[in-house]
Amino acid sequence: MDCQAEVNCGLHLVIQTSSLPEKNKVEFKLNKDTSSFPGRLLQHDLERNYSSRQGDHINLVSSSLSSFPILQRSSEEKILYSDRLSLERQKLTVCPIINGEDHLRLLNFQHNFITRIQNISNLQKLISLDLYDNQIEEISGLSTLRCLRVLLLGKNRIKKISNLENLKSLDVLDLHGNQITKIENINHLCELRVLNLARNFLSHVDNLNGLDSLTELNLRHNQITFVRDVDNLPCLQHLFLSFNNISSFDSVSCLADSSSLSDITFDGNPIAQESWYKHTVLQNMMQLRQLDMKRITEEERRMASVLAKKEEEKKRESHKQSLLKEKKRLTINNVARQWDLQQQRVANIATNEDRKDSDSPQDPCQIDGSTLSAFPEETGPLDSGLNNALQGLSVIDTYLVEVDGDTLSLYGSGALESLDRNWSVQTAGMITTVSFTFIEFDEIVQVLPKLKIKFPNSLHLKFKETNLVMLQQFNALAQLRRIDQLTIDPQGNPVVNFTLWKYYVLFRLSHFSMQKINGTEVTQNDMIMAERLFGILAHVASSELPQYRLISILGDARKKQFRYLLESKGKKPGIINEENNDSKRLVGENTNRATLNYTTRDFYNEKLEEIKEKKKFCKTYIEDLVKEATEINMKNEALQKLWPQMFIELVRDAVIEIRNKNSYMKLCLQQITDQK
Amino acid sequence: MLSPERLALPDYEYLAQRHVLTYMEDAVCQLLENREDISQYGIARFFTEYFNSVCQGTHILFREFSFVQATPHNRVSFLRAFWRCFRTVGKNGDLLTMKEYHCLLQLLCPDFPLELTQKAARIVLMDDAMDCLMSFSDFLFAFQIQFYYSEFLDSVAAIYEDLLSGKNPNTVIVPTSSSGQHRQRPALGEAGMLEGVEASLFYQCLENLCDRHKYSCPPPALVKEALSNVQRLTFYGFLMALSKHHGINQALGALPDKGDLMHDPAMDEELERLVVRSKLHRTSRQHRAKEPGAFGFQRREKQEALERVSSASVPTPYHYRWEPRV
Repeated sequence: MDCQAEVNCGLHLVIQTSSLPEKNKVEFKLNKDTSSFPGRLLQHDLERNYSSRQGDHINLVSSSLSSFPILQRSSEEKILYSDRLSLERQKLTVCPIINGEDHLRLLNFQHNFITRIQNISNLQKLISLDLYDNQIEEISGLSTLRCLRVLLLGKNRIKKISNLENLKSLDVLDLHGNQITKIENINHLCELRVLNLARNFLSHVDNLNGLDSLTELNLRHNQITFVRDVDNLPCLQHLFLSFNNISSFDSVSCLADSSSLSDITFDGNPIAQESWYKHTVLQNMMQLRQLDMKRITEEERRMASVLAKKEEEKKRESHKQSLLKEKKRLTINNVARQWDLQQQRVANIATNEDRKDSDSPQDPCQIDGSTLSAFPEETGPLDSGLNNALQGLSVIDTYLVEVDGDTLSLYGSGALESLDRNWSVQTAGMITTVSFTFIEFDEIVQVLPKLKIKFPNSLHLKFKETNLVMLQQFNALAQLRRIDQLTIDPQGNPVVNFTLWKYYVLFRLSHFSMQKINGTEVTQNDMIMAERLFGILAHVASSELPQYRLISILGDARKKQFRYLLESKGKKPGIINEENNDSKRLVGENTNRATLNYTTRDFYNEKLEEIKEKKKFCKTYIEDLVKEATEINMKNEALQKLWPQMFIELVRDAVIEIRNKNSYMKLCLQQITDQK
Repeated sequence: MLSPERLALPDYEYLAQRHVLTYMEDAVCQLLENREDISQYGIARFFTEYFNSVCQGTHILFREFSFVQATPHNRVSFLRAFWRCFRTVGKNGDLLTMKEYHCLLQLLCPDFPLELTQKAARIVLMDDAMDCLMSFSDFLFAFQIQFYYSEFLDSVAAIYEDLLSGKNPNTVIVPTSSSGQHRQRPALGEAGMLEGVEASLFYQCLENLCDRHKYSCPPPALVKEALSNVQRLTFYGFLMALSKHHGINQALGALPDKGDLMHDPAMDEELERLVVRSKLHRTSRQHRAKEPGAFGFQRREKQEALERVSSASVPTPYHYRWEPRV
């Protein structure tokens, strides 16, 4: 027997011959190989023998009246097997006319070549009709068989389920091995218990409502991608979905709602290859007792729930992570936009000083975190859940502070204030890299003292889009305790375009003994070259400056640092002492460079403004001095001119006075008495 | 020193000519600013140091631009300081952009205006392709002319424009006025077709200018020399000629001749000492820091350095010494 074993491996027929077949005494089951059902007597072999034996006694007489052969049995046969007729393997191409057998209950047409169901409308007592392995293309001719309970149409060429309207008592419907693409026209079969649609062309399962008695549904070897309506089957216990095209549990989600299901198979589906397959199925279908023909143990169930919980956690985590990341990205975009705006504005001010209205159409008031409507377009492919969550964010920040292990990243000038926060000693101690993006370098300079105190282990500084334009600005970095690595991103830092910038950095910050600049190691040669290029500058800056200037420049720098310290909360004398020692050490290490300082433009202009007053005063003071001096000079010159004449007159007067000795003596005495 | 002409000048004029008041004012201003620090070691000493540094030309270091350009002596000192500090850059052979030179200038004078550097660069590049690289000597000499004679050059530019557009060269030209008086209009039709202006005409105007104004200008004789070889010239051609002229350079007295620009044996010696010291310093730091030491202190380096030192100390035939300008 060829394909029988594969699909139709056990047709259990238990027939009570004694009494009239009542519905509940006739049971038919279709089963696969490893059946866990209580075994029934396998009557199949008996049947087979029986039918072949019967076949010998059948005469098929071709009638002259019609093209159909007419069946005739011997009366012996008719009495012995009054209710069953087997025409198996009779090479029939059409259904023969069966006369005088109207009380037939079982009819077997297996293994023939019948193309149409015909000539059986008179057998109105038929209970079981077996047309397995024929060539039937359409279900028809069954409308009078109202008692039919078993209809076996496996291995035919049926393309559509139809014309079953009157078969309301149908118990078993076997349509396996056909060409059916859609489940339809069976909703009235409320007594149907077994439905076999294996090996068809079904792509999805739905339209199952009304099958209130269905306990077994076989859908193996189809192309099913999703399953619906199974929760409308109140009695369904066994569902076989092996060898289909199911790839996610969502496509069979209705199974979770079916409380009657206890046995299900998914093997041969893509879903069965997934790592999460078993525990997802178990977790979602707690009512299940058997999966893929294997009993589910308690242990497995426990594992499944544990794993499912872990999955949930992970998903939630990753969702949170991606939300965070997206928020970060948006914030950084926002900061970048403002940076560009700011740069544009500065450029505009520089070039269009006459024009009152600035060129940039963007309103500067957008700076304090309002929702920027431009963003949803830029978000790119996000799953809808994420998008919804993000649009709930009513405020997008204008700066971002991020700590990632050993890196502290600051975006936007607002982030600089975060350095004032109370950082735990542990977190702060772990930070070795500090990265600044979209912040003006001049603003960073002002917080460098804070950085030095709060993050003592920061050894690597990164600058991107910070407007580093002059070599001088690097002087400001000298006040830090130590830098091992420096990364200046070319983007937004024009200073990188200079040929000598690296050497200048090495020169000015030589006391740090930097290891790397922009990722490349610093070699001995680099240091020597730096010293060679700028060594004289240092020499000049230290040895040729007059003493008072040295002191004033160094004093200035120190005073500035103190000012920052005092502005922050570090008024403890301990810190100031430390500062003193620090700067003393600094000064000792490289006096010749310490005078190379950087004052931000604003401070510089401020200082110059302050000096203006003094300059005015000095000017007037000097002018007064000069006036005085010139007056004195004039008087001196005048005196020089007049002196000879004056001298002569003096001498003449004196001589005239003394000419008469006596009168002179009298005059002198008189003068003395007058005095007293 | 006590020459009779000096004593013959009336007092204010004398002071003005020598810019004595500028220095006095500045000294007092510095005194006020750094009162606390200076009071520690005495005012007399302060004034001594101040005027000593004025004489040596180190007073302009790290000062604001308004002071640096205040007197010719300051300008000369600044040029000289720039040369001394960054001669090594030139010696190294690097060609830098205008912006980078400006950066170097800013290291010595934080608010040095970009304009001046741009103008100097224009002279070198003949008003073309401002992003080009320039050599140290080219830039330095052009910068010298531009910085020291900046007011003079502004007037010359105005004269040049007028000549180019065909106005009368004998009209009174003041740099700030928008148009001169047009009394005569000679047929200078050729000026439009050929490039630049006629040299002799140009020189006449310059002579008038030199006679009239108060700020310093190059010695007219030398200017005539510079113009003697050409028939016609452009503005930047003229400036380039000025910058390359040895005589003018010597008259200024700030920089050595072009050939000797890279020579400064005293500084070279000092530099070598610094380099050696820094190498020792670095390796000792490394040992202290207990780092694995990506590069050890190689004997080769030291030998190299010693060799260089010995070459520097070979006596050069020309020793340039800077004399304070009387």
